[in-house]
Amino acid sequence: MSVVDHSAIELSPRISEADVADYVALLKPRVMSLVIFTALVGLVIAPVHVHPVLAFTSILCIAVGAGASGALNMWYESDIDALMSRTANRPIPRGRITPPEALAFGMTLAFFSVMTLGILVNWIAGALLAFTIFFYVVIYTIALKRWTAQNIVIGGAAGALPPVVAWAAATGSLSVEPLLLFLIIFFWTPPHFWALALFRSDDYARAGVPMLPVVAGPDATRLQILLYTIVLVAVALAPWPLGYFDAVYGVTSLVIGGGMLALAINVFRFREGREALRATRRLFAFSIFYLFALFATLLIEVVVRAVAPSIW
Amino acid sequence: MADNDRPDGIVLTEAQKKSRRQRSIAIALALGVLVVLFFAVTIVKGPAVLVRPL
Repeated sequence: MSVVDHSAIELSPRISEADVADYVALLKPRVMSLVIFTALVGLVIAPVHVHPVLAFTSILCIAVGAGASGALNMWYESDIDALMSRTANRPIPRGRITPPEALAFGMTLAFFSVMTLGILVNWIAGALLAFTIFFYVVIYTIALKRWTAQNIVIGGAAGALPPVVAWAAATGSLSVEPLLLFLIIFFWTPPHFWALALFRSDDYARAGVPMLPVVAGPDATRLQILLYTIVLVAVALAPWPLGYFDAVYGVTSLVIGGGMLALAINVFRFREGREALRATRRLFAFSIFYLFALFATLLIEVVVRAVAPSIW
Repeated sequence: MADNDRPDGIVLTEAQKKSRRQRSIAIALALGVLVVLFFAVTIVKGPAVLVRPL
């Protein structure tokens, strides 16, 4: 007879069945694609020549850093993710990946992305990337999200930093242009996420996340959306008269800014029923197009100027 | 239960083996990309690879 009772010992510890797709989902690929795009614009508008290998390295490190932030966010929020329909299918609530595995994955990616960017490109960019990850995970996810309705206003700074990191990677310094890109994304974040929160407020309420519609009510949120949209449109237009970006950008910003403002006014006007829901969904969808179009215009300007300078 | 009735170690299921193989390949590819990246940047920067302004 054995002295030790083997039946009391866990003989089959949990062995992961998570595949690569689960780990990719942990990186929040859709958020990552927006980060890659905005960072690419920050890199391309920098007034210096960047070797393609260094440009690729910079964008890759920023993308992986964004993925690390996503994984660490999912590690910390796995309890509330399980309560919301939008996030219940994420790898941790589904039981595919455990929180410690997500933590280890996120920390490893964060370490390698920051160190690689610092060593291979420059340490200003590396430090900015480290600050971005820290801000998203510690300031936004841990300190703000569950405690204040201003969570996404302040936390939006993390999402606005990638083009600044990319500019720093290209130039080794900072300037007004990347700060303008930062401000555009910063003021874009509240109307975008509050539009989402308006039609997902039940989800947030169930999870106990104090999003503005849950705490202050839908009407106060509609007013805040309108006010932030007015500021956003003005901030996005300002670089044109100030001479930082040229007329093509200015006209694009003016036209799509008008669209954004009209949709925000609709959200403010229609407060009940299907009209209200439709207005909110339209603003949410258009806000994605708005940011994409603004940054795409800057990208196209630079590409056309490089390929066919006589056209511009 | 007698000690020799227990299976030796942990026996992985086919699904666990498959996912572990997938993860191992992904890690190998990521490390490969890292090595190629460091090599490529070293070639691109040349001697300047050691000059990293703070």
